[in-house]
Amino acid sequence: MSFLLACPNCGPRDVNEFHCQGEVTIRPKASPSRRELSEYLYFRRNVAGVQREWWYHRMGCEAWFLAERDTRTNEVLSTELPE
Amino acid sequence: MRLDPRPGERIDRSEPIRFTFEGKLVEGFAGDTIGSALYAGGRRVFSRSFKYHRPRGLLCCSGACPNCMMEVDGVPNVRVCVAPAHEGAVVKAQNVRGSLERDLMAATDKFGGPFTPVGFYYRTMIRPRAAWPLFEKFLRSAAGLGTIDKHARRTGRYDVEHRHADVLVIGGGSAGLEAARAAAASGEHVVVVDENAPRGDAPGGLELLAPATALGIYEGGLVPVAAGRILYKVRAKRIVVATGALEQPVIFPGNDLVGIVLPEAVRRLVHDFSIRPGEKAVVLAADDDALAIADDLRDAGTQVLEVVDLRNGPHRISASGTKGRLNGVGVEGVRYNCDLVVASGGRQPAYSLLAQAGATVAYDEGRGVFVPRDLPANVEAVGSVTGEGTGSIAPAKTLLGDKTFVCLCEDVTEKDVKRAIAEGFDSIELAKRYTTVTMGPCQGRLCHLASVRMYARETKQGEDAIGTTTARPPWSPVELGLLAGRPHEPGKRTSIHHRHKEAGATMMWTGSWRRPHSYGDPAAEARAVHESAGLIDVSTLGKLVVRGPEAAVFLERIYPNRFADLKPGRIRYAVLGTDGGRIMDDGTVARIDDETFYVTTTSTGAEGVIEWFEWWNAIWKLDLSIVDVTGAVAAVNLAGPQARELLGPLTDVDLAPDAFKYLDAKQGKVAGVPTLLLRIGFVGELGYELHFPSPHGETVWDALAATGATPFGLEPQRILRLEKMHVLIGQDTDSESNALEASMPWIVKFEKDEFVGKWALEHVQERGMRDRLVGFEMQNGSVPPEGGAVVRDGRLAGRVTSARFSEQLGRAIGLAWVPEELAVEDADITLRVSAGLERAKVRLRPFFDPEGERLRS
Amino acid sequence: MKDIFRVRRMWRPRSELKPRYDVVIVGGGTHGLATAYYLAKNHGITNVAVLEKSYIGSGAAGRNTTIIRANYRTPEGAEFYKKSVELYEELGADLDFNLLFSQQGHLTLAHSDRGIITATERAEVNQLLGIDSRVIGRDEIRELCPEMDLSDDVTWPVMAALYHPRGGIIRHDAVVWGYARGVDRRGIEIHPYTEVTGIDRENGRVTGVQTNRGPISCGTVISATAGWSTLVCDLADVPLPITTHILQAFVTEPMKPFLDVIIVSSQMHVYISQTDRGEFLIGAEIEPYTTYRGTSTFPFLEFAARHTLELFPQLERVKVLRQWTGLCDVSPDYSPILGKTEVEGFHVSAGWGTYGFKAAPIVGTTLAELVATGDTPALIQPFELERFYTDTLVSEVAAAAVSH
Repeated sequence: MSFLLACPNCGPRDVNEFHCQGEVTIRPKASPSRRELSEYLYFRRNVAGVQREWWYHRMGCEAWFLAERDTRTNEVLSTELPE
Repeated sequence: MRLDPRPGERIDRSEPIRFTFEGKLVEGFAGDTIGSALYAGGRRVFSRSFKYHRPRGLLCCSGACPNCMMEVDGVPNVRVCVAPAHEGAVVKAQNVRGSLERDLMAATDKFGGPFTPVGFYYRTMIRPRAAWPLFEKFLRSAAGLGTIDKHARRTGRYDVEHRHADVLVIGGGSAGLEAARAAAASGEHVVVVDENAPRGDAPGGLELLAPATALGIYEGGLVPVAAGRILYKVRAKRIVVATGALEQPVIFPGNDLVGIVLPEAVRRLVHDFSIRPGEKAVVLAADDDALAIADDLRDAGTQVLEVVDLRNGPHRISASGTKGRLNGVGVEGVRYNCDLVVASGGRQPAYSLLAQAGATVAYDEGRGVFVPRDLPANVEAVGSVTGEGTGSIAPAKTLLGDKTFVCLCEDVTEKDVKRAIAEGFDSIELAKRYTTVTMGPCQGRLCHLASVRMYARETKQGEDAIGTTTARPPWSPVELGLLAGRPHEPGKRTSIHHRHKEAGATMMWTGSWRRPHSYGDPAAEARAVHESAGLIDVSTLGKLVVRGPEAAVFLERIYPNRFADLKPGRIRYAVLGTDGGRIMDDGTVARIDDETFYVTTTSTGAEGVIEWFEWWNAIWKLDLSIVDVTGAVAAVNLAGPQARELLGPLTDVDLAPDAFKYLDAKQGKVAGVPTLLLRIGFVGELGYELHFPSPHGETVWDALAATGATPFGLEPQRILRLEKMHVLIGQDTDSESNALEASMPWIVKFEKDEFVGKWALEHVQERGMRDRLVGFEMQNGSVPPEGGAVVRDGRLAGRVTSARFSEQLGRAIGLAWVPEELAVEDADITLRVSAGLERAKVRLRPFFDPEGERLRS
Repeated sequence: MKDIFRVRRMWRPRSELKPRYDVVIVGGGTHGLATAYYLAKNHGITNVAVLEKSYIGSGAAGRNTTIIRANYRTPEGAEFYKKSVELYEELGADLDFNLLFSQQGHLTLAHSDRGIITATERAEVNQLLGIDSRVIGRDEIRELCPEMDLSDDVTWPVMAALYHPRGGIIRHDAVVWGYARGVDRRGIEIHPYTEVTGIDRENGRVTGVQTNRGPISCGTVISATAGWSTLVCDLADVPLPITTHILQAFVTEPMKPFLDVIIVSSQMHVYISQTDRGEFLIGAEIEPYTTYRGTSTFPFLEFAARHTLELFPQLERVKVLRQWTGLCDVSPDYSPILGKTEVEGFHVSAGWGTYGFKAAPIVGTTLAELVATGDTPALIQPFELERFYTDTLVSEVAAAAVSH
């Protein structure tokens, strides 16, 4: 039972109830070059610090939401449903 | 020997308990531990040490050290000093060859000092290499403590309970109880965890878990508590750590001899079990509590020869013994003949739980101990764990004499530590790994402080500069069984499962589902599908309803195929891809009406597809809902040339070929059950996939089976689909496969403005195909293994992903990835079969009914 | 033999940093030390500094589960690790340090048809490359591991296994120390507690590094910092296709010999071996979220215990002594990222996921050759960072469901 995550619908729950989709990436708008596409598909900032990321409440309300988490401490600073 | 009854003793003399040790009868009383009963009966040697096989006796008597580990009722490594004695227990010594008194392995002690210094193994048996495995065999046989019963089975007796409290107090000593009472008085729900068996009822208003051990303070404030067979998972708003302090041994030559104990052992032996610990004793202590132990000894009839306050400067101490048992101790040149030495180098705060929770650990110069600092939010410390009342003495320069142990679990001596430093292992973490000090069963309780202080002394640095090693959970050794809980099987079953079992199906796993492999004769089942009709349970398919004004837009965007133009009542094959263009899953999409689509997925992919749909729509925010009906809807496929005739009488849907065409979807009733009928054909024959509410699973199945349709399992289905070259996602494709190279270019509609994976597939198209998934036909009829190699010039050129012998075709067929240039009808490829090479011809069109006439019939 | 009793320093105490080195290696783990070792041994390059932010071997080198094997799924991977196993077999003699390499054999269990296919794929690739690796059935499994529960009435019956006789476990710390001693004796400097805080470049090529102990100028920098690769490469503005995850393991109290082969179950995500000291060493899969916080979790213990007992019910009363956690760089295709980057003179060894320790000697050999010759050795060409731009991934993913 690792850290807790506050699902915007359900409240604080154990991290194992969730699926983490990783950091929020920016999808290219137009037809990207091979290099741009590779950057989008594979390359990650992987920051040591606050990261904005996607989570899914798999064993709960089955909603996707966004969290800001400090990857150095696993402290979750905020969570919100996508606008 | 046992004293006369004393007030407060834990034993109940009216209830004798008898058990055996090494086959000999031992008598004790209810309330005794196995260790106390053995001690009362005169046993002093309890174990042999890890490396040197030196005799070891009770030391802490509180379950912390390795000295009393024995095998009890077949369970190894039981600390008998705290294990309750019970009638009929079978207790044996462990880690000895021979007996505790005469252990053949004790020779390692004689030779093991000068001849096996720390790091010995790293420097020997290097050459010749062939000698090492033999030597290793010997090493392995000598290593380890207890023996595992190879025939032991699971007892299934463990359970998990959850506790939510306002306050959790860890440690039921005076400071812990005081904090607990105060919290309870203010109306808070308080749980107290204590390692010792409770005496009487818990104080009012508190929930006491005892004897129990808090295993750690994990992220999120979870505190797992081991209480015998129950694992409590406690979460509290506030955690109060009152784990007290750990008595520390004194470092001197012969400090491991049997008869040298910590003060707590005396307290327990005398007060709990009414045992006289020895006849003549010397007390060496560094705090007032420990010095007061002399009174307890006298009280128990032990003659106290000398009480030495170690705080009065360094003392030259050396103990001697015969056959590992203490016979005397020298202090500052004066020798005392005695059978007991109570030695305490002070007390170290038991801060591990706090450190794990995030506190920093700092050296308290004044006290000579490490203390916790900067406690995390919602965690408090009270009592001696804070450092209050604790202290330790520096290890004195030792005299010549017997071995001087820093770590009893691992038999690490002072000499080993000095040598490690001299060799350059000058950080405490490196030293820990090199000497293995603190890595044994006491988890550093009795050796961590001593090793740090010795390091400080030898390297002429402060203890603060040396620092501590990381506190690693669990705080106490915990049985795998307790962690594992009850055995349980997570398998999912369809609503028709019992019918399969009744029909004698052999079941197999597909993902987390249990499915029939076959009902006994896969070839006959496949034949039935080709010749008459077969029936298969496909309830495991993932099933979603996507509904809303923008449902069509959503599917159009998420799939490479086109769905906006799909007419209500029609079905289309659907391959789902990632934005990297890689195949994720496949299934069918049936349009029920303008705004409603019924989507199926593979059996193992359902959850992933739902999450994937939901995720994209969290981004796109189209006006639609996605409902997972996988569990609510059962499905069976009736397939074969007679499918129409057999189904006709059971349904109100017009099955006439013109009225219900291939890839039509219709709603009606089957066997009186509302059903969605999909005319699709994974197995290559006329077929109807029937989807209906799962509570009716057996009703529909029974009605169809009564028509004479033959139930068939997954194995015949695999043969049938392979004859049609239908791809199994996840078997014929892997995490890198894309739809173009998987020979499904027709499902990719590049003309659409946008779809997930479009750009990546465009780049694949641009760079050209590298490999292709093709069919093949063996030339000599042997069946290559699935996963077998396609070989060219002796090198791997591709892989066989599916292969079967088709009775229908009379040939061995399969699917394989081959280099693009070989993806040509009739091309020759070479496959590895039983480590030999066999030839096959590439086939690009379905092996069976290539025009799909039977499907459409 | 005389060396056994003579007390001799393994390595010199840390010296002052020199203003310039030819090569600076960031990371004093197995990869960094091995690279330094082969730079000196194979190429005579000794004006080298190994900078380690903590003590040597403090990262993945000292936290892995010590399994060495070559039975990979891709030909590129299998060929690479084959060389690594061969080097490991000779390494003790080469370093004159017994690494306690215990080639007990390695069994990857298959519990499903799919599992057998994956095992077969690997065996086929391995056999074509001359790696001793084959799929065996229950009878042979029973001979190798009579204690394992091979009955049908368990959740995941064992159907077959990929058997790799030369797979083994080794004393991981000894690998670190052996290399460190070899490095030190060849005149290369090891600088523990020296953290790199900047990587200096001019015109797209490396000119030096900044450290907490001052600047160093150099022509070549190698990052060998599993777990922290992204952060080190950020200093050179080299983006990586990596996420950082924790991987956990635990040991039990030492027991008499019970298990003489390494057991891996990809289905159950658990791997089990028994060390020469008698401890069971048990690990699972990486945690699914990215993090730099190397904290141990309790669900891991429950998960790994449950699956261990599925295979070995006899261990029910064996006690867990200590759990720990390490950081892993995970790449999209589960293959490493090795060699040149777009910054001239800046090379990486990253993206190892859970496989890094197994590769130390061959990483050292090939990176040393790259530094000495300027050319990427053929063996590691498939693993260049460039592959993510050219869409030529080397996918171990199917085999990586868990295979340690």
